[in-house]
Amino acid sequence: MPAANIIELRQLLAARFPGLRMKADALSAAKHAFWPTGLPQLDEPLRGGLARGALTEVTAEQHGSGSTLLLTALIHQALHENKFVGVIDGQDSLDVTQLGEDLSRLLWVRCRSAEEALKAADLLLRDGNLPLVLLDLVSNPAAQLRKIPATTWYRFQRLIEQTSTVCAIFTPRVMVAPAQARIALRSRFSLAALEREPGELLSELKVEIAEARHAGESGELESQFA
Amino acid sequence: MFAVIFIPNFSLQAVLRHEPESRARAVALVDPKLPKPILVQLTPAARACGVCEGLTPSQAMARCGELIIKPRSPAQEESATEILLQTAYAFSPGIEATAPGVCTIELKGLGFRFDDHALEPWAGKLAEVLAQFHLEAKVGLAATPELAWLAARAGNPVLALSISPEQETEEVVPAFPDENHGRTFESFPISALEPPSEILEILRRWGIQTIGELLALGKDNVAERLGPAVVELFNRVSPDSPRPLKLVAPAEEFAEQMEFENEVETVEPLLFALRRFVEQLSRRLELIYLVVAEFQLQLGLSSGLKYERVFKIPAPTGRIEILFRMLQTHLETVRTDSPIISLCLIAKPSQPESQQFGLFESTLRDPNQFAETLARLTALAGPDRAGTPESISGYKPDSFRMSVSGFRSHNEKTLLADGGTARHSARAAKSATNGTHGVTPPTIKGRSESDVGLRLRRFRPPLPSHIELRDGKPTLLRSHVFIGPITETRGPFYGSGNWWDVNKWAREEWDIETSDGSLFRIFRSSEGDFVEGVYD
Repeated sequence: MPAANIIELRQLLAARFPGLRMKADALSAAKHAFWPTGLPQLDEPLRGGLARGALTEVTAEQHGSGSTLLLTALIHQALHENKFVGVIDGQDSLDVTQLGEDLSRLLWVRCRSAEEALKAADLLLRDGNLPLVLLDLVSNPAAQLRKIPATTWYRFQRLIEQTSTVCAIFTPRVMVAPAQARIALRSRFSLAALEREPGELLSELKVEIAEARHAGESGELESQFA
Repeated sequence: MFAVIFIPNFSLQAVLRHEPESRARAVALVDPKLPKPILVQLTPAARACGVCEGLTPSQAMARCGELIIKPRSPAQEESATEILLQTAYAFSPGIEATAPGVCTIELKGLGFRFDDHALEPWAGKLAEVLAQFHLEAKVGLAATPELAWLAARAGNPVLALSISPEQETEEVVPAFPDENHGRTFESFPISALEPPSEILEILRRWGIQTIGELLALGKDNVAERLGPAVVELFNRVSPDSPRPLKLVAPAEEFAEQMEFENEVETVEPLLFALRRFVEQLSRRLELIYLVVAEFQLQLGLSSGLKYERVFKIPAPTGRIEILFRMLQTHLETVRTDSPIISLCLIAKPSQPESQQFGLFESTLRDPNQFAETLARLTALAGPDRAGTPESISGYKPDSFRMSVSGFRSHNEKTLLADGGTARHSARAAKSATNGTHGVTPPTIKGRSESDVGLRLRRFRPPLPSHIELRDGKPTLLRSHVFIGPITETRGPFYGSGNWWDVNKWAREEWDIETSDGSLFRIFRSSEGDFVEGVYD
């Protein structure tokens, strides 16, 4: 029976397909729990940590801003909690020898290009088995990153929004439009930092929550500076 | 009480099992091992076209242009026999492989009685299960194996023979007193006993048409006139002394195999056949409450070589979709040097997995799905580019190896870790005895990776560069990532290793800060100057 207007059409679709989502913010806010990173400068402004079932973008616009430090900290935190971690290394740049001994819960995908990394991320997000997926595109050339269609990120968003997966995407510039939270790394370390403990450096990591869009508050932007 | 499963045209049914849609067509089977290849078995459609057994293929084709001629396949007959015995074994432990396509089952101990009306539904279920494997079977039930065999041949698909009133003993209650259920063998034609042709001819001339009429003549009287051969006929229908069965246990191997008529060059026909194999194997295991733990795939190539691959199922399952996807994902990446002529899939069964996990242990939601994803990632990135990194003991920087991510449970991991510690200790003790270094020394003299606060983002391979030195310290860097003066340095850190073989290496490392504030690790070796990575 043809729908007379849009409301009837929506009702018809809702009746036929109970799982269908009609509005972007219709997803229950309750589904968005958070995964605490163990870093107060992230967890407090992000209301408890990185959002589950949503994309989080971490931008590191310059070398030495601590993106690898943060990436390895997240891996350590997840492994410490006996979680499985998937790291998609966009340019095969992760130094695994500094990650520690027991990496049996780490899946490391060493990609050669951003395109390959996105395909790998697509597979892992569709799989839905890993609670934490980290996509590192910081080292990829700008030419490769420019070729990524914006729709890719929306597709990723749709893939994980019904799951409890935490997905953090490390990029050299802002590019993940549907990211629920955007963390900009602003640290600048000197050579002396090499002789200090990683824990000390993490506590001094300067982050800027450039934008945080929470479920149920569509359109509302929050800015906090650490 | 005995049951006989009879699969008519067994060789033909075995060949058509993987293409059940052909059973409605005119198909004939040829035995290539005969001195003169002739048709040995036919489908009803072929018979309806005027084709009969004994014709040569050319004679048969002359009668029926649409006739499909298939060669007999001992391998497929073997698979069908396995299915027959395994199915029978699922219903009763006392089974006999009587003949190709014939299996006799002893019903003693199963709790059935002669007058049990549950017998026919039981036999019907047996035929239904075999029909799932695309084998049309007839089942006969009777007091002796021979009578059950007679009943099976007359069954449609099930026939339960009762005992005639004359042959009843006081203890035996007539089987199937309801006329709708039971039937006596006396009404069967005499030819059902398959007597020698000369005896059959004599009996016909006497006007003996049925078994009942033969029995009415009396065993001694007929034997006196026709000799001892006719005694055998009387013994066959005697309900008093059933012959003992030669009990067998079916093989615990679950295999499906096929030889292609035409060489296969693309993956689609292979997947089509594989899907049917997976369905059949999964059902066979389901019948005995087992699941698939491992698949062994064998592809016979026209060059004579064989491609083999073992698929371990991370979480043993009987779900066809999961099992098939695993094979499909792999086959889509397989390239063979020559076309495929045969296919064999062997399943290793196991009990369904039941495991209790630790309170704080997280596990994979769907291990089989993850295994498939891992296979896809491996196909995408390369075999050594998706997995779990493992460190290699040694001095050389960036030494690791990739292993397949199994994401074992915590208990398993603990056991392995214990073993690893023991080996580690043994090796360390041995190294100490030999006067060498331990297995986990700092990578480079004066530097320990774990002491470095900032993490290194590596360039793989290291970037060739040019480093200018002044007073032994780097002052200028020319590379793809930076060109300019070096403002601060840390080092040098010296390292070397493998001096005893061709993989020997030696390097001088520096940590540098460039004029734009970036922190790099550079090194100099006999091969030149390189930037190893950026601290980030």
